[in-house]
Amino acid sequence: MEMQKMLSLAMGGLLALSLAGTASATDKPKVEMEKCFGIAKAGMNDCSSNKSAHSCAGQATKNNDPMDFVAVPKGTCDKIAGGMLKSM
Amino acid sequence: MLSDDLAGFARTIVHGESPAFRVDEGYAKYSAQVAVEVYRNNYRGNLHDALAGAYPVVKQLVGDDFFRFMARKFITQYVSRDANLHRYGAELAEWIAAFEPAKQLAYLPDVARLEWACHCAYFAHDGVVLNLNELEKVAPADYGNLVLHRHPSCHVLHSDYPIVALWQAHQPGASEDFRIDLDSGPVDALVSRNNDVVAVTELTPADAAWLLKIQAGTTLGEATAETLDHHPDFDLLRALQMLVAQNVFAGFTLGATS
Repeated sequence: MEMQKMLSLAMGGLLALSLAGTASATDKPKVEMEKCFGIAKAGMNDCSSNKSAHSCAGQATKNNDPMDFVAVPKGTCDKIAGGMLKSM
Repeated sequence: MLSDDLAGFARTIVHGESPAFRVDEGYAKYSAQVAVEVYRNNYRGNLHDALAGAYPVVKQLVGDDFFRFMARKFITQYVSRDANLHRYGAELAEWIAAFEPAKQLAYLPDVARLEWACHCAYFAHDGVVLNLNELEKVAPADYGNLVLHRHPSCHVLHSDYPIVALWQAHQPGASEDFRIDLDSGPVDALVSRNNDVVAVTELTPADAAWLLKIQAGTTLGEATAETLDHHPDFDLLRALQMLVAQNVFAGFTLGATS
C-alpha cells in the first residue's frame, strides 16, 4: 500500500475513533486523587507513611543490624522457573 | 575550619570513620560515639527506605533481609546528592549487575531498570497531552512529516527476561500463585502514566521498534516505512490507538517538508 494512503487511513481512523468516542486523550478526566496528599504509589499508603520522601521518620536508635550474615535471596525469586541461572 | 569539620562529620556518618572533629562532651544524655551511631542509623535507614520505595518488586523478589543487605552495601558506595530522596537510587540496576551475591538472579538488574523507569514516570512532569483536536487540523498530505513528541513519563525498555510478567506478578492485589518462565523470550516493556497511575505494558516487537524511532524524533512517515521494512505485520492504526490511550505522546510538530 502506498505510504501516503496508509498514513491517511491510520490517522483518519485514530481521529475518528478517538474524537467520536469517550476515550479521548485530550479529554483529560478529572484526576481522581491529588498527588501527594492522597495518591498512593503502589505499596505506599499515603504521604504520611511515605517514609522514603522525607527524613523526619526518626529512627532514634543506634544501629544494631548485623551485617555479617551470609546473604542469600529469600523472596519470591524461589518461585520463578529457571530463576537460579548460575550456581554459586 | 567549619568546612573541614563538616567534611569530617560526613566521612564519619557515611564511611564510619571515627570522629576526628571536636565534640562538645557537655551533653550528658549520649556519648559522642552513641550520638554519631544514632545519626548514622537514621542516615542509612532513610536511604534504605528511599530505595525500598523505588524498588518494591526487587525487594519482594529477594526478600526483606537480602534487600536490606544489598541496600546497606549500595548506600556505602552512593551518597545522596540531592535534597529530594526520590532522586536517590538511579544507579541500583547497574550496581546489582555487578553485585556478586545477586549474580544468580540474572533478571534482577532489568527488573530494577524497569522499576526506576516506573519511579521516574510517576514523578515526571505532567507535560502536555497530545491534543487530537489540533491533530485533526493537520492536512493529510502532511501526515508523513508529523513528529510526535514523547511524554516525559513514557519509557521503553528491552530485556531478555520476562520483566513485564515479573513486575505485574508483584503488584498489590496480584495473585501470589504465579508461574513465570525465564526462558519465555525477550520483551519490550512500555512504561506510561495515565491519571497519575503508572502502567507497564508489553509491546510487540513492531510497536516497540516504531515507538523507539518516533521517540528519536523520526517523522511518522519515515518511522512507519522503516518499521514496515522489518515488521511487515506492523499495524499503524492499532499502534496509534493503543499508544494514544496510554498517554505516551505529548504533542506534535511538523518536520521539514521533503
